[in-house]
Amino acid sequence: MTERTKIDARGAYCPGPLMELIATLKLVQIGDEIDVWSSDKGSVRDIPEWVKKVRHEMVGITQQDGYWSIVVRKAK
Amino acid sequence: MAANPLYILLASGEHEKLQMAAMMASVGAVSERPVEMFVSMNALLAFEKDLPAERRYQGGKFSKVLKEKRAPDALTLLRQGKELGDLKLWACSMALDMEGWELDRFEDGLFDGARGLTKFLSDAETGQFISL
Repeated sequence: MTERTKIDARGAYCPGPLMELIATLKLVQIGDEIDVWSSDKGSVRDIPEWVKKVRHEMVGITQQDGYWSIVVRKAK
Repeated sequence: MAANPLYILLASGEHEKLQMAAMMASVGAVSERPVEMFVSMNALLAFEKDLPAERRYQGGKFSKVLKEKRAPDALTLLRQGKELGDLKLWACSMALDMEGWELDRFEDGLFDGARGLTKFLSDAETGQFISL
């Protein structure tokens, strides 16, 4: 069953949210999802670029009240 | 195709340049790209052990902004790059010789050793070279 792990990186600036995502990706299983909460606009642009480069999967980005929820699936 | 390695030469002790070098090194390393960083001159001063942040990170206007906004700490970013990717740091052997310094003068867990510029430049011919 797919697990979803939440990372609350609100208040952290680039590349803080990305580094937290990567550290967490090492701990979860293939197919699991990670939901990064970030208030940093740069990370909203950068995280999908990183996901594409290293061949994981973007599930989606949704704007919440004062932050973004960026959901990534571990693909390998 | 193998990733194009990134070689960063950091000689400046300015906080802004150290921050930029640490960001490039860590993000490059976690993006499946081998990264090597050669640290010399005033940049070495920022790696000394047990410095308060105010002394370690000295710079201009943007240094103040980085501190006020609590940007990720440069040395922490480098540690993360080493832990999560292929990042190596080398201390300039000429600078160490001139000052009579040993590697134990610097923060633990960052430098992979001392290295000469000739070796670093020779290795850097195989990748992209950036100096700050």
